[in-house]
Amino acid sequence: MGKVNMEELLNCALCPNICRCECPVLQVTGREAVAPAGKARLAAMLQKEQLDWDEEVLDAVSHCLSCRGCTIHCPFAELSLCDELINARLAAKAGGARLPQVEPYLANLKNYGSPYGQKNETAVCGEKGAEILYYAGCTSMANNPASIEAARSLFNKAGLSYQMIDEDCCGYPAEIWGDEELARRLAEENLRKMKESGASTMVTGCPECWLTFTGHYPEWGLELPLEIIDAPAYFLGLLEEGRLKPGRADMKKVSYHDPCIWARAAQKTAEPREIINKIPGLELHEASSSGEKTRCCGGGAMFQLSYPDTAAAIARRRLAELAEDAAIVTACPFCREGLLQENRQVLELVELLDRTC
Amino acid sequence: MSRVKTILQQGKVKQAVIDKFRENAADIVGADNISSGEIDLLSTCRDYWPISSIWMLEGAVPALPQLVVWPNTTEEVSRILALANEKKIPVVPYGEGSGALGGAVPLQGGIMLDLKKMNRARKLDELNQLVTVECGMNGALYEEYLNQNGYTGGHFPQSLRCSTVGGWLACRAAGQFSTRYGKIEDIVVSLEAVLSDGTIFSGRSVPRAATGPRADLLMVGSEGVLGVITAADLRIWPLPEKRHFATYTFDNLADGLEAIRKFIRAGTRPAVVRLYDAQETGNHFPELGDKRPGLILLFEGAEPIITAEAGVVDQIVSGQGAVDAGPDFVVHWLETRFNVSAASRLLQKGAVLDTIEVTTNWHNAHSTYQAMQKAILSEEGTMMASGHWSHVYPEGAALYMTVVGFPGENKIGYYKSIWRAAMKACLDEGAAISHHHGIGLHRGAWMEEEHGRGLEVLKKVKAALDPNGIMNPGKLGLEEVQQWEK
Repeated sequence: MGKVNMEELLNCALCPNICRCECPVLQVTGREAVAPAGKARLAAMLQKEQLDWDEEVLDAVSHCLSCRGCTIHCPFAELSLCDELINARLAAKAGGARLPQVEPYLANLKNYGSPYGQKNETAVCGEKGAEILYYAGCTSMANNPASIEAARSLFNKAGLSYQMIDEDCCGYPAEIWGDEELARRLAEENLRKMKESGASTMVTGCPECWLTFTGHYPEWGLELPLEIIDAPAYFLGLLEEGRLKPGRADMKKVSYHDPCIWARAAQKTAEPREIINKIPGLELHEASSSGEKTRCCGGGAMFQLSYPDTAAAIARRRLAELAEDAAIVTACPFCREGLLQENRQVLELVELLDRTC
Repeated sequence: MSRVKTILQQGKVKQAVIDKFRENAADIVGADNISSGEIDLLSTCRDYWPISSIWMLEGAVPALPQLVVWPNTTEEVSRILALANEKKIPVVPYGEGSGALGGAVPLQGGIMLDLKKMNRARKLDELNQLVTVECGMNGALYEEYLNQNGYTGGHFPQSLRCSTVGGWLACRAAGQFSTRYGKIEDIVVSLEAVLSDGTIFSGRSVPRAATGPRADLLMVGSEGVLGVITAADLRIWPLPEKRHFATYTFDNLADGLEAIRKFIRAGTRPAVVRLYDAQETGNHFPELGDKRPGLILLFEGAEPIITAEAGVVDQIVSGQGAVDAGPDFVVHWLETRFNVSAASRLLQKGAVLDTIEVTTNWHNAHSTYQAMQKAILSEEGTMMASGHWSHVYPEGAALYMTVVGFPGENKIGYYKSIWRAAMKACLDEGAAISHHHGIGLHRGAWMEEEHGRGLEVLKKVKAALDPNGIMNPGKLGLEEVQQWEK
């Protein structure tokens, strides 16, 4: 968790906002205050003490999905506005500002280690001490246990031992909601459990968790005790090794939605497509904005909890870009959750793969 | 709570009047589409006028509105304007704030009418090659929509990604491909608008008509002072079959200008024609060096046509002593053409910078450049005054000057001095004071010299259409703005 980089923030604040066409929050709300440069201007004014923290200001700088859509056209290579806005939210907490709607979720994080409340203890499974640890993430745990079942099924079909632990939230929600202390506490608890598991490799299907482990933990001075690999790359490896053998799918066409973190923060756009292309007879439809130019589903930065109406509107905008006559496949529990509207069929990649193997 | 100062605020509407308006307006647009929140007021109170940026760094804004209203439909715009007119509350239409001359500054407070929720494409008429699009649609998303349907809008201002269709029409915008597709006033066929009393009117999208002056097209270039443009029928073109790129350098600018005049006279219409002075050639294309003016050309359309056009142009420019530098510089230009990052960096280093675009005929194209450059360079603190021509017509071309200065503490004084020098030189040479950025607040001071008695006619039109003077007061040079003299 860093300090605000004033020079970069001002570069953004002084820009005419050439990224605004790719900011999903701005596009559905129309509010200048939540345009990328609008938020940068507010954050800069706060830093210069021209503005005081209050709920209204915090609400504006919290209107960022961390989708990195603004980076598509950004001329400032060093700028990470999403991170600068997280820094601003941390400063907001120090200034006494609170977002009331996230307080219950923060309380859940403190009490249960998940923003969704009581965790499902049956998640602890597999073979204790196995080399592979599967970290599902709290959103899959709470909202789509079927994706966890699919991942477990794939391990079994591949003949691999795995384990799942009593995982805590990675800490990301606490960080984006401005509670640095809680984020660190959750991270440390997770690291302790990972270490105790004895696993050497951790597979995660949640891009938010992956980014927190690989990007944020090192920034917080925390070292992972195991190697981490994302689920698309891992299961693609099993396909290439011949451990998994897909048959024909029970559908003809899928439209792949690139989750923004896999696409832009991790540049992982090839692996999911390679998996889909290995399924016989399955046609892949590309959205009009795909790969690194993907558009957000509305689920980034826990928006489905903090701003559900805006999240739903952003999802509807994205759904219009995904083929109507195809099932939607994605590789993120937040994206799945967001795109589950308008009677569309939405599957996580592991679910699709498990149905064919 | 903000400690931001306002510099140009001319007044505000009594709070009781605003409160009553808000109550009534909530019945029209819904309470969620009205805000008096401080951050919404701070965020919509400015555009990309360099003075606003300088003030921002100093903790100030030009002026603050009292409400932001987001209408969703033309009907809502009509009812909001009628209500504001009844209460005599100023209204400033707002798109995406990319204007460069303070046109969106709410000098008298009142309402910012943010039109971004009116962002739909209403109809794609392929047979008649027209699209009906609402005013708040973002430029890049407009072009994306057309591309997905096999068309282009042919309009690519540098602000494409941060401006709206309504903004283009309100300030007579030009796109980088204008030599083939025209400025926005050539692309618009008809539009829908709302007057201050709530009257909704529109033109018909027929191919010209000898039916008297067109009321709807009167709104083109009106910068919000006559009413609100809510939608337009724009021409569209099938996506081009092929593109051809060419770059040439010349011994001097006069040869380059003469070459362009001749190939336009010959009937060719490259989409992009940009002739840079030697300094800008060196800045944009270091491999070409900074000793010779560079010309980049982009042709697009059906292959046989552009092959023929490129051949005619090559023959003419060669006759004017041009050296062929190949196609790659155009590729580089295409990749970098929307990048305005230098401004943010220079402003933080204490620079004052601006672009001043004017429009010249062929007879004064070169002399206007020379006069404006000399005038700007003569102002103490100026570090650079360079120029290029783009947007070419049979009768002349737009001249675009870029100015960078480091004046020390008196930034506003310096800004005014370079503009006074540049505008005087422009008018003395017989050029017009703007080609496509428009007038806004800052350039209003030169409107009388530009229009002569024509400005009185415009004032009468304004008085007739907006008798209470609520529409974007203080802009387009129709009223004096005491706090902002040239």
